[in-house]
Amino acid sequence: MRDRLYFLLGPAFALTILFIVGLSFFAYEVPVALWAACGILGVAVFVYYTISQNNVTYVIKRSLESILTIWVIATLTFMLLRVLPGGPFDQEKALPPEVMANIEKKYQLDKPIYTQYWNYISGVAVADLGESYKYIGRNISDIVAETLPVSIQLGVYSLILAFILGIPAGLISAARHNTWVDSLTMGAAISGVALPSFLVAPVLILIFSFGLGWFEPALWEGPAYYVLPVIVLGTRPAAVIARLTRASVLEVIRADYIRTARAKGLSEKKILFKHVLKNSLIPVLTYSGPLAAGIITGTFIIEQIFAIPGMGKHLVNSVTNRDYPLILGTTLVFSLALVLANLVVDLLYSYFDPRIQLT
Amino acid sequence: MKNWRLTLLAAVIFAAGLGCTKKSTQHEHGLNPAETLRINLRQEPPSLDWSKSTDTTSALIEYNIMEGLTEYNLQDPELGLVPALASEWSSNKEASVWTFKIREGVKWTDGQVLTAQHFVDGWERLLKPATASEYAYFLYSVKGARDYNEGQLKDFSKVGVKAIDANTLEVTLKAPKSYFPYLLTHHSTYPIRIDVVKKHGDQWTEPQNMVSLGAYKLARWEHDNIIVMERNNAYYGDKAKTKYILGYMINEDSTALNLFEAGKIDVLDTLPSREMAQLSKRPEYRKVPTLGIFYFGFNTEKPPFNNKRVRKAISMAIDREQITQLLAGGQEPLSGWVPKGMFGHDADAGVKYDPSKAQKILDEAGFKDRSQFPKIQVSFNTNEDHARVVENLQAQLKKNLGITVEVINSEWKTYLKSVQTNPANIFRLGWVADYPDPDNFLSLMTSYSENNHTRWGDKEYDKLIEQATTITDKGQRRELYEKAQNILVEKDVPVVPIYSMVGQYFVSDRVKSYPINPMQKQLLKRVIVE
Repeated sequence: MRDRLYFLLGPAFALTILFIVGLSFFAYEVPVALWAACGILGVAVFVYYTISQNNVTYVIKRSLESILTIWVIATLTFMLLRVLPGGPFDQEKALPPEVMANIEKKYQLDKPIYTQYWNYISGVAVADLGESYKYIGRNISDIVAETLPVSIQLGVYSLILAFILGIPAGLISAARHNTWVDSLTMGAAISGVALPSFLVAPVLILIFSFGLGWFEPALWEGPAYYVLPVIVLGTRPAAVIARLTRASVLEVIRADYIRTARAKGLSEKKILFKHVLKNSLIPVLTYSGPLAAGIITGTFIIEQIFAIPGMGKHLVNSVTNRDYPLILGTTLVFSLALVLANLVVDLLYSYFDPRIQLT
Repeated sequence: MKNWRLTLLAAVIFAAGLGCTKKSTQHEHGLNPAETLRINLRQEPPSLDWSKSTDTTSALIEYNIMEGLTEYNLQDPELGLVPALASEWSSNKEASVWTFKIREGVKWTDGQVLTAQHFVDGWERLLKPATASEYAYFLYSVKGARDYNEGQLKDFSKVGVKAIDANTLEVTLKAPKSYFPYLLTHHSTYPIRIDVVKKHGDQWTEPQNMVSLGAYKLARWEHDNIIVMERNNAYYGDKAKTKYILGYMINEDSTALNLFEAGKIDVLDTLPSREMAQLSKRPEYRKVPTLGIFYFGFNTEKPPFNNKRVRKAISMAIDREQITQLLAGGQEPLSGWVPKGMFGHDADAGVKYDPSKAQKILDEAGFKDRSQFPKIQVSFNTNEDHARVVENLQAQLKKNLGITVEVINSEWKTYLKSVQTNPANIFRLGWVADYPDPDNFLSLMTSYSENNHTRWGDKEYDKLIEQATTITDKGQRRELYEKAQNILVEKDVPVVPIYSMVGQYFVSDRVKSYPINPMQKQLLKRVIVE
């Protein structure tokens, strides 16, 4: 019964996600019901999986640790910002002291540092990240709510592309170890890692927008706009994933149990997909946690080059502007994504390799 | 067994998806390109609250959805004033009490009639300490304004601004100020509907809440993405020629240029500086000298620049033309302090390039043996163009005077802090006019100015500047400013002006009568698109 439930829940969740991704990619409105279904399925899969793998205590322990981690990050960021030279309201045209005093009072920058810290941390505890200094009167949570979905959209497309390209490439190249297929795939992978995106992007724009006229050179308004940034953002991780997969497959392929499988007379295809691949994905999984967190919270360069209204620019510009609440807000969003992604990755380890025990 | 379940699942999800509707994927956000001017705002406007915003992006929107008492005559080379929300104005003989007649029949977008009280409300809000407006100082020349903003004076009725009746506004200044009406072109001095602000709080600048009165009104504001302004049919003057303005927020100049090339943007007001040599030859290219300067300041407290002869020698050893040619963006070499295109500009002012004379002056200043010249530092904020200028300066000083300078750069806010607290021997800065009056440039270098980082001060200079603000006669003022400029850039030389800035545009050929002017005020109501 348990297994049956799992066979229903897991694929349903994956299919729903893929369907939402497909809808959004072709610029269809995603119905609220579908979001709700996806959310419920997600929670169900998580709960079912955690219970069935006996990981409940582990998840509780990790969640508590995560809160501690986030608190340490929030505190360190807060302290580092006060050490950084130059304040949020320093500018070329210096302000008269009276005006400066009014501003400091408004944002409570005239209060002692521990009061500021207390106000900040107690705000974070109830998810109130405060108001931006630069975008006057706008809440940090509003800014995040308006820009993060765009970054997530770009990030998810690119991640999917990275896996779709990377894993088969690694697999094929390992299966055809030391042949021209291997050299070609790995050559492409090395170039993928080595070429910087600010170089690849203009070249692709030149060819596919101005040369062939297939895709739009910038902005974020539909499928024709999504293709180029997704390719630029997705190919580099695809290359890394291909190399990781290849190395790991080559190792697994020599293992005893694969020899046993061969001896049993299983077909090469079945061995590769059923026995080798699943056991080879651990390194890819390890890499995917930080990758996913980084890629869905916004990539500054790609968002700049393609004028994508995501969160990446706030991650960087908030520092230039010394917009303390926005720096703290975006840092916390990134940390949260990282902590969550790593938790999910850790939980998945024991799925891919049942020998791994989470404690 | 497993397969039919999966098929069923897929079918259920697809069925759910059938109810989905396609998002509007019309290009240009559903606006008809034939009725839309598409511009690049470069960034999300930090605030459209005209009492609080301080940046040029927000100002561009505000200038098109609002108006002030006065407006520049953008056709006039010396930028005189024309009536806007004030139909006429006058002052007493000393230029210390000003009376403005409010134009009759001006209506806000919600139908209410504009009155003098809306200005009083706007100014009270600007100056209120709790508003914490950075531009509050714009009205410090009004009697009692500074005390009120500081919190010393609690009663706003004691501040020198009064609505005598619905159509008359009277302003009493702390001291005579001949150019006062110029300040009223600025968005911080605009009237405000305090009832709207009170009702919606910080959200009053959202399109559904905002009440304005300019040629355009705010129609859409998708944060961090686009802004749409729509023609205001209730505008009192000639209606806007183009129905919509679509503003993108593209930060990267080369990306914006790509979209211009792809025909998606009609006007660019910044261009990638590295490509200027090619871009300036294109037919879409326009340029205009603007009221801004790029200069180097000396730290006059640290040797060797506590000696004015050394400062003069440096200024004389710099060939400004070489620098402007290097930048290739149409910048004008500048030796005086008041930029080209502004009343008070004097092409002959300042120290002219003369390397052999500069050598001699430096010899006389006690540095005949150049090895005795201390190692000096030139600092600037990290920026590609600034780096080119500073490296050129380094080369010129080596070649023309035989002195070695070390170049240091830092990130903007860090740089500002260092300039304010402990400036290097030579530091780079710029200044852009808030209003087109030489006072805006020359008062910058008074001994008590917060923006004078050279630590230089001269009593006579201060006196000349103060005196000039109280005089209305243009000829007399020009004379005083000439004297002041002489002290600043010829006699004492605490600063070395390098060039007058320039505004550079790309305007698509489907756009007619795009406003290009020295104040770079982009008033779009007369723009026609084809």
